[in-house]
Amino acid sequence: METRAVLQEVHEIWDNPSRIVPTLMLRTCNRLLVGATIGLVALVSGCASIDGVSESRLDLVKQRGELLCGVSGKIPGFSFLSAEGSYTGLDVDICRAMAAAFVGDAEKVQYRPLTAPERFTALRSGEIDLLSRNTTWTLSRDATGGNGLSFGPVVFHDGQGLMVPKESGIASLEDLSGKAICVGSGTTTEQNLNDTFAAEGIPYTPIKYQDLNQVVGGYLQGRCAAMTSDRSQLASARSGFADPEKHVILADRLSKEPLAPAVVGGDQTMADAMRWVVLALIEAEERGITQANVNEMVEQAQADAGQTSLRRFLGVDGALGSKLGLADDFVVQVIRATGNYGEIYDRHLGPSSPVSIPRGANRLAEDGGLMIAPPFT
Amino acid sequence: MNRWLNRFVTLLLTAVIGWGAWSVIHWLLVAADWRVVVSNLPLYAVGSYPVDQRWRPLLWMVALFVLIGITLLGPRRGPLQRWLPLLWIAMAPVGLWLVAGGLMLQPVSTRDWGGFTLTLLLTFGSGLLALPLGVLLALGRRSRLPVLRLSSTAYIELMRAVPLIAVLFFGQLLIPLFLPPGLEINRVLRAVLAFALFAAAYIAEDVRGGLQAIPPTQREAAAVLGLSEWQSLQLVVLPQALRTALPSLTNQAVGLLQNTSLMAILGLVELLGISRSLLANPVFIGRFLEVYLWLAAVYWLACTAMALLSRHLELRLDPLRSDR
Repeated sequence: METRAVLQEVHEIWDNPSRIVPTLMLRTCNRLLVGATIGLVALVSGCASIDGVSESRLDLVKQRGELLCGVSGKIPGFSFLSAEGSYTGLDVDICRAMAAAFVGDAEKVQYRPLTAPERFTALRSGEIDLLSRNTTWTLSRDATGGNGLSFGPVVFHDGQGLMVPKESGIASLEDLSGKAICVGSGTTTEQNLNDTFAAEGIPYTPIKYQDLNQVVGGYLQGRCAAMTSDRSQLASARSGFADPEKHVILADRLSKEPLAPAVVGGDQTMADAMRWVVLALIEAEERGITQANVNEMVEQAQADAGQTSLRRFLGVDGALGSKLGLADDFVVQVIRATGNYGEIYDRHLGPSSPVSIPRGANRLAEDGGLMIAPPFT
Repeated sequence: MNRWLNRFVTLLLTAVIGWGAWSVIHWLLVAADWRVVVSNLPLYAVGSYPVDQRWRPLLWMVALFVLIGITLLGPRRGPLQRWLPLLWIAMAPVGLWLVAGGLMLQPVSTRDWGGFTLTLLLTFGSGLLALPLGVLLALGRRSRLPVLRLSSTAYIELMRAVPLIAVLFFGQLLIPLFLPPGLEINRVLRAVLAFALFAAAYIAEDVRGGLQAIPPTQREAAAVLGLSEWQSLQLVVLPQALRTALPSLTNQAVGLLQNTSLMAILGLVELLGISRSLLANPVFIGRFLEVYLWLAAVYWLACTAMALLSRHLELRLDPLRSDR
């Protein structure tokens, strides 16, 4: 019936347009009215959903009871799959610490292996709550005009380093004067090497290769006195050598690569919570609070009213956690789950671990490193 | 003189081949450290699937294996033969149910899917979507209706002109940016759709090849017998066309299985992805050769099974064989 009516109408328009225009307009108006109603409903629900978005991601995480954490899954010492089928590493422990603080259970993390190109997209599209994936903190990634992320405190100061055979006795850049150095060509690595040695006025011969595996090959064949790459990469390459203990990574750093966790920008509550969880790990190390003695320390703080700063830090007094939207004893939860920063570092990158990286800049400030936490007051 | 030269060449070649074989066997048995493969077998199979639920994907894979065995070695006649196609089609929904859960089983998020199970699910899922889509595109391209013909042709040519990796990148990285915040299409589903849309264009061309091999007289004969256009397509043209296209369709299926490994660089932990995650474990660092040889063996086995199944199907569909 509808079709026939429409056809009729079309014929009539064809025959006599002027007569039919008002009818059509009336119909159009009706449609517009219906359309406007639908539009209004959509707009209202749209506003409702915008309201939903404006609340902090932290509330969403607490509501869900689980943290969605983006990791690499392919970096020795930072995040990799253990033989039991679970992720482990320094980046993974940061995720666990966050989950312990946000929802009170370090095991309530869903790991999402991400590749470098998709990591920021995953964060912005909301597929993950937090990115803990060997990400260098740079201006353009932080800025609103760039990737628009919010970075937390640095959890690992990486940087380009040099590896030499132990028996060569080389201990500093000066000892490499006039020697050959294996480097990947066309990379910032090569540029940094050149910049550093030129600035110091030390002559050297670069031996260039296409990729890191070839650099390692050239170095092991003895074609150069040292090889250069990011220090975490040097350490993981070394752990694959037949005799890893015969090679050392020099203390000199040729570039700075501060690796930090990140959340999506513009969410102050979430960014603050992330920031102070990392800082709590550092502060705990400064105070000597470890996974083993944290319960003891809590009892000590509860018993002794004179320990004011310890009481605040462990959430006995001061309600610092509530100000961040976390539980007051979030520090205790975190340390129970992962230990302090030093313990996390030693577990995955310490001297007894397979991927051993000297702590260097990652020591506490009081030991001459760069790790420091502002006061918990 | 010539005889001596021949003897010398023979001896030399024997020595070279013997030396090569000996060093390969020596490496396989002595130098290689197979712990990286042996102690992680469950991970290669199911990835980081919850340990207490691992039996579900394993059961599915065992069922698949048994079904392959029955199909290839089972009886040529009887009721079982009639049920086989149905069983094969049922494998996809049953597998999805076993792996994803729901309906009496504990649900498992796609984030936990991995290993060979994910590889198989990606292949199965995208294959099942791509085949009908490909057939429709092939028919569309041969249609008399210009809009249908042009749009099918445009789709096929566009998809074939874009590299697969670009389609996958689009699916994994760009789609989430276009969606409103909060709305998330599952990334495994996104991968399956990207593979299916891509493979459909190639399948369409394979099917079109099959369609063109059917002489027009077949269609005319069907029309004379009083079959409608649709009936002649369904009963006469398509069965023959698909049979002709079967070898190239197998080609696509094998390619699809291999191509799922591309998802490793896009963050899905399928067979190759899980291997790269395991290689980052400091205990197994540097064991690339063992792992990649093992992967080659697994992929070879899976592809060989597909090739055998397709050969089997070809023989069964061959009209010249009496024991159909």
